[in-house]
Formats: sequence, structure tokens, C-alpha cells
Amino acid sequence: MRIIATVRHLIGPIELLHEQAGPRLLRLARLGIFLLWIVKLLLDPLWRLAELPREMFKPVGVLALLPADAVDAFLTWNGLAALLVFTLGVLVVALTDKAFPFVATVAAVLLTIYSSTIRSFGPAVHTDIVLLLAVYALAAFAWADWFALKFGDRSAVIDRRYKWSSYPLITIVAMLCLSYCLVGLNRSIAGGARVFTGVTMEVWAIDASLRGYYFNTNIGWHIPEWPWVVFMLRSGLPFITLFEITAPLCLAVPHYRWIFIPVMFSFHLMSLVFMNIFFFDDMLLYLLLIDWSRHFPAMSAKAGQTGE
Amino acid sequence: MSTPARPSIRLHPALAAAIIAVSVATIIYQISFAVPLRLAGQGYMMILILLAFRYWPPMIRWVKSMPVVHRVVFAVLIGSMIAGHYTLNGRTYFPYVTWEIFPFVNERDPVTCRAFIATTNSGHKVRLLVEQLFPSVVQIDPVEMMDDPHYYPPGTTEHLARTLAKVYNELHADDPVWRVDLMLLAVQLHPPAGESRANPSCELLQRYDISSGQ
Repeated sequence: MRIIATVRHLIGPIELLHEQAGPRLLRLARLGIFLLWIVKLLLDPLWRLAELPREMFKPVGVLALLPADAVDAFLTWNGLAALLVFTLGVLVVALTDKAFPFVATVAAVLLTIYSSTIRSFGPAVHTDIVLLLAVYALAAFAWADWFALKFGDRSAVIDRRYKWSSYPLITIVAMLCLSYCLVGLNRSIAGGARVFTGVTMEVWAIDASLRGYYFNTNIGWHIPEWPWVVFMLRSGLPFITLFEITAPLCLAVPHYRWIFIPVMFSFHLMSLVFMNIFFFDDMLLYLLLIDWSRHFPAMSAKAGQTGE
Repeated sequence: MSTPARPSIRLHPALAAAIIAVSVATIIYQISFAVPLRLAGQGYMMILILLAFRYWPPMIRWVKSMPVVHRVVFAVLIGSMIAGHYTLNGRTYFPYVTWEIFPFVNERDPVTCRAFIATTNSGHKVRLLVEQLFPSVVQIDPVEMMDDPHYYPPGTTEHLARTLAKVYNELHADDPVWRVDLMLLAVQLHPPAGESRANPSCELLQRYDISSGQ
């Protein structure tokens, strides 16, 4: 019995993350997500893509639906600069709450075009996909709020409206956790045991380090010279994969989140050092893994209810 | 003297459903071979996770608190992500992609990579990386793929080398590059003991004279 009690104590409470979230927290999350996109776009000289060889362009997603003439017009200095400026403008408007469902939907469409464009010159990498899906969630739930208010039972809606802020927040965290979970499941089942027992992780790390991306630490290809790093990579892959597969527990177990966040944060930093790969969007989304409304009552639904 | 009644063993519905799901997956894989284990295995693991949340009281309470339209939105967003993963297609349905990072065994030795190394007027060597000169691009295909006619038309590598040099020179007019070498970089997984290099071993594959091209 003592063992069970100890295990229960270690697991801690089991409660849904952001279940108590209120409108203030949702507004802050919206602000953070749109600001992050604005910063990303401000740092991006998108117009330069017009100079890349056209034969490297293999359209991704919606861009494949465009006729060749439209792609030609789009892949010019003017076309790309217009996309960047217009998207930035819409994102700035989204920071205000003016006509949010409509503005967020336009932002989602423009960001989809932008994200498809930058991936059309190479593989459709996963960085910032969850951040894009977060914009989808904010836009879709804003429309859902609008429909429920317009066509729903008005008295019931007003009674429960203060709880609605939790819907997009929980959905965004669910999508973040799901992305990790799918990566882990894919690696374990498609890759099989040999991914974890052989030299695979070293090869991937050296390969990424040799290629060099935007961040180029020029360190990873030394890995074979450092047995302790080889050991860390080999033992770390199954460990990290386990955390990836169990990421959905973040929705339910606060104690697990406090282990998950530092472990995955360290993993992403190591990926940067040894592999030049940096998922800083996901790392910033970890802020949503903290149940702010339980720590700061002003951000809870009850505060929203009394405030309204 | 009567023996105390044993408590009845009740199987949680989620566990029962998970056992059925795994069994069905195994049968599908073993008998029909219609669904590869790569898909079936992941599919049924995902069902297991979804079932766990389906029967978790706080999740039930949360979903029940939602108006219908919000439930639909939640289901569509999560469902699209899962469906996108099982298309095994990373491009067509973007952003609903297959989530795979290091998904297969990779044991090649030595590890090789092609790189553009340029020489500037002052004699310095600089590496030309698409991801640095075009920061919008997170990652390009490996340069060796550009010589594969299945993926790229002939001449793509040279075209890219000249483009990189042009953009580099626009950004570094004080010390432009005049030559670009396509090099093969190689790192051995098992280097001789005690060996430490300042750079990976390099082999020249192709040389492009940029000054004559401009």
C-alpha cells in the first residue's frame, strides 16, 4: 500500500491543462502566437527566393494548385515582397481584436501560402508547422464562438461563455503533443529496433552537421572522436522517443510536464549544437504547457466571468 | 463458515477496446498483408492513446461543456492532423504532413555530403549555404540529389552554384568570390584512435569559374 501511495504521490494530481483558462490567457496566447509570426517574417528576406533557380521549385500544398503563369508571377521580387508585406499587415491587425474571426482566417491563409513557399525549395520540414496549426485553431474557434453566439441558445451560451477560452488553448497543446507523439510512433514502428541499437543516430547527426543549415555550429561531425557524445546520442534516442510518444500526458499530468519541458528543451538545444537544427517555435510554444490560470487566478475563467 | 466473496474483475472499457484494436491490427497484418505494419501499428497505437483520453473523466467533462460547433472544430483540427500523418505524404496536403524525423535505419560509413566552397578575391575560403544566403529556406534537398535526373533537370547544381556566388557577391561586394568548388565532404564513423581533424576530408568534384560567367 505504501508503494502505491508513493507512486500516486510521484504521479501527482491528474487534471486537464488549461481547463480553467479565461479570456485574458487566451488573449495573451493570441498575442504571443501572432507576435512570434511577425518576428519570424520581419527576419525573413523572402524576396530573395526570386533569385533561386526555378528548377528547384517543387510546389508544396496549395501552391501546387496554382497554374504555371500564376507561379511565375508570384515567384518574382515584387510577388514575394507583396506576400510578405501583406501578411505582416494582416498579422498586425490580428494583434487587435477587431473582426478577429475574419482577420485570423486571412492570416491563416496567408501564412499557409508563406509556409508552403519556403518549403517548395526543399523538403517540407516540420519547423513552425504547429505554430501554423495554432493560427488555424485560433481562427476556427473564433468562428465557432461567433456561430454559437449567433445561432445557439442565447441564455445557455452567455452562462457558459467564460469557459470557451480553454478550447483553443487545449487544442493547440493537443496538437503540439500530437506532433511529438506521431514522430515517436513513426520512428519506433517504421524504423524498428535497429534505429535505436545501431549507429543510426550518429549518422543522422553527422549528416546534419556536415550539411550545415542557417545555424552552423560546425561541431557535430566531430562526434566519432568523442565516445561520450556517441554514448549520449545512442542512449538518448530511445529516451527521447519515449518522451515523444508519451507527450500527450502533458495534457493531463502536471508532474510529467515539469519533467517533459526540461528534457525536451535540452534535446532541442543539443539538436542545435550537434545537428544545426533548431525548433525554436516549438520551444516557445512550451509556454503553453504551463497552467497559467491555476498559478495566476486573474487569468482563470472565473476571473473572466466576474470581469464580464 | 462462508468464504468472503472475491471482488469481481472488471475490465476498463478503454483497455478492452485497446486489446480489440491491437488484435484486429495483428490479424489484418498477419492474414491479409493489406495494411503494412508501419501504418497498422501506428494506427492502433494512436487509437489506444485516443481511447485513453476518450474515457478520461476531465476530458469527457471538457468535451461535454463544448457547444456542438466547437466540438466539430476540435475534431476536425485533431482529425486532420492524424489523417495527414497517415497519408505518408509530406508535401501534397501541407500543413497536414507525415510526421517523421529519423524514421529509418541509416548506417552508411563514411558519412558524405556535397558542399559549395568558394574562394574570394583575397584568397579566403567560404562555404556557400542556401540556408544562410536565403534564410527563408529552412532546408534544401541534399546537393547530390540535384544531379539525379529523377529529381532535378541537368545543370541544376551548376545553376545553384552560380546563383549562390551571385547573391554572396551582392552581400559582400568588398571581397567577392571568383570561384566555386563542389566538394565531397566525408567523415568516418570509426576514425583511427586519437585522430582529430580541423575539417572533414574533402575531395574536389567540380570547379565553377564565376568570374568568367559574369
